[in-house]
Amino acid sequence: MNPIAPDKHVSRRGFFELTLGWIAAMFAVCASAVGAVRFLVPNVLFEPSLVFKAGKPEDFPDGSVTFLEEERVFLVRQGNTFRCLSAICTHLGCTVNRTGQGYHCPCHGSVFDDQGGVKSGPAPRALEWFLVTLSKDSRLLVDKNQRVNSDKYLVL
Amino acid sequence: MKEFLPKRIWQWFERTRVGRSIFRVGLPQSNLERAQAMVSSFLLHMQPAKVNRHSLRASYSFGLGLISLYLFLILTFTGVLLMFYYVPSTDHAYNVMKDLQFVVSAGLIMRNMHRWAAHLMVIFVLLHMCRVFYTGAYKRPREFNWVLGVGLFLLTLGLSFTGYLLPWDQLAYWAITVGTNIAAYAPYIGPELKYVMLGGNAVGQEALIRFYALHVIVLPAIAGFLIAVHIWRVRKDGGLSRPDEAGDTVQQVELSQLPTSKTYGLMELARGTTPQVGRNPEDEVFAWPHLIFRELLLFLLVVAAVLFLAVFWNAPLEELANPVHPPNPAKAPWYFLGLQELVSYSAFWGGVVVPGVLVLALVLLPYLDHNRKGVGRWFARDRVVANTIFTVCLVIAIVLTIIGTLFRGPNWSWQEPWKKPPAVTESH
Ligand code: HEM
Ligand code: FES
Repeated sequence: MNPIAPDKHVSRRGFFELTLGWIAAMFAVCASAVGAVRFLVPNVLFEPSLVFKAGKPEDFPDGSVTFLEEERVFLVRQGNTFRCLSAICTHLGCTVNRTGQGYHCPCHGSVFDDQGGVKSGPAPRALEWFLVTLSKDSRLLVDKNQRVNSDKYLVL
Repeated sequence: MKEFLPKRIWQWFERTRVGRSIFRVGLPQSNLERAQAMVSSFLLHMQPAKVNRHSLRASYSFGLGLISLYLFLILTFTGVLLMFYYVPSTDHAYNVMKDLQFVVSAGLIMRNMHRWAAHLMVIFVLLHMCRVFYTGAYKRPREFNWVLGVGLFLLTLGLSFTGYLLPWDQLAYWAITVGTNIAAYAPYIGPELKYVMLGGNAVGQEALIRFYALHVIVLPAIAGFLIAVHIWRVRKDGGLSRPDEAGDTVQQVELSQLPTSKTYGLMELARGTTPQVGRNPEDEVFAWPHLIFRELLLFLLVVAAVLFLAVFWNAPLEELANPVHPPNPAKAPWYFLGLQELVSYSAFWGGVVVPGVLVLALVLLPYLDHNRKGVGRWFARDRVVANTIFTVCLVIAIVLTIIGTLFRGPNWSWQEPWKKPPAVTESH
């Protein structure tokens, strides 16, 4: 028999060793891969909090649309209703500008109406509205985790 | 005739004990020594001792692969120097750019060289790919080297793109915002991909340090390794592709066809799978000096060209990144503007489907193309179909890129570059 060529008949023991060996090796590789990928997903963000206080209701005059720079949102007041609109274009994430009756994205020209709906341009979806509530100390509290329909108001 | 003085000094040094310990073979005087010089030196032995005349013709390869390699080396050199000053922090990065421009000796030149070499590398890798395509050089046995090449092309784009964020100016901030949002349109994993790339929801400190790590170590290490394998394979695949008339490769012997009962010497095995470099002695010349001289000359030319650009044109630096005010229009780096143009019609089709299909087609190309004719000649008649398809795709890509770069003004509206853009009124 050729001493280098492996024996073609695998014994039962050899079979188990082989299978177990391979399973262990694959497991090690997959576990390392999962660990490495999971490592890259951050658990804590050092970004401005998604829940924030926008200020006192009186700070926003009736009929105003106020751009909050830090948070990249518009605070919209009509009468005694308050809403909060995302200023992040749904196309590729530029900050939209307020123009006359609606909003306009400078990057690729998407145009949104005053309800955030797409009027023209490449944006695939309407701008998002966020939930506004009143905090215990009577400040407007915006929660960017919670998306709402454009007809949901905080009424004071 | 008396020898040139530096040469005499060198020859004296070679004969000293130290000299002989470093250079086994001195400046070669005979053909034997020419071959020995090539195989006894670490840097030279990656190349064959003799090369086919056809491979030396500038009009065949235009040295485009070599130029890409040299640009990579220049980028590594200037990049490491820049690292001595650069701080990947949103508070410091921009100031470092200003320091490089106005305070650090030769800082401006280094930054300019790095930037222009990066742009040039994208261009030359693309040109190299076109050359390989139009000469049919990806065909058997070079299929896998083409696949490695596609990987290198993507790495080159990745290196450029990650580097783009580092100056932390308006250009950087918005190009990366737009670019990563294109990635977010990928099916299933898109949003997660963007989240992991940025280390958060928006471009910020986390994104900067991630891009930095990718730019200075992860991608260059992978690219360096792949370049080494790529160039090694050029040699193992039998040198540059060439037409049969140029004294081509001996018929390939597959290892599996060899009888297995015999004991083989290492050289026999090494030869077993590789087509041998042209056998006909008339077709070959010694790599030293014919190849080495051309390589060094080209290196000098590339360095001179990059230096020239760096001396006369400054790399752009806009205002400090401002997440509130995107410039109008906000553009991705130029090599992605064709994509951005498509994305402005449909983000999903332009950002995911078209590039995905293109990359897949490039990877599979050498395995899908069964036509074995037309290797080693530019625009061979036998390849008219393949060449036409490739040219059409190329022209479309170039036209889209030109439109995105030059013909898109404020609000991404059509804007002829020779006309002044209309004033845009903005209000919040
Ligand atoms: C970082 C990028 C790259 C570097 C540094 C590089 C380097 C080289 C070098 C030095 C050569 C020798 C011939 C020459 O100089 O033209 C070569 C040949 C080759 N390259 Fe590349 N290359 C790169 C990217 C690519 C790409 C994008 C492709 C194709 C998708 C590719 C496919 C090939 C093939 C198939 C050959 C063999 C050509 C022949 O035998 O005629 N390479 N490469
Ligand atoms: S990012 Fe707003 S239109 Fe493209």
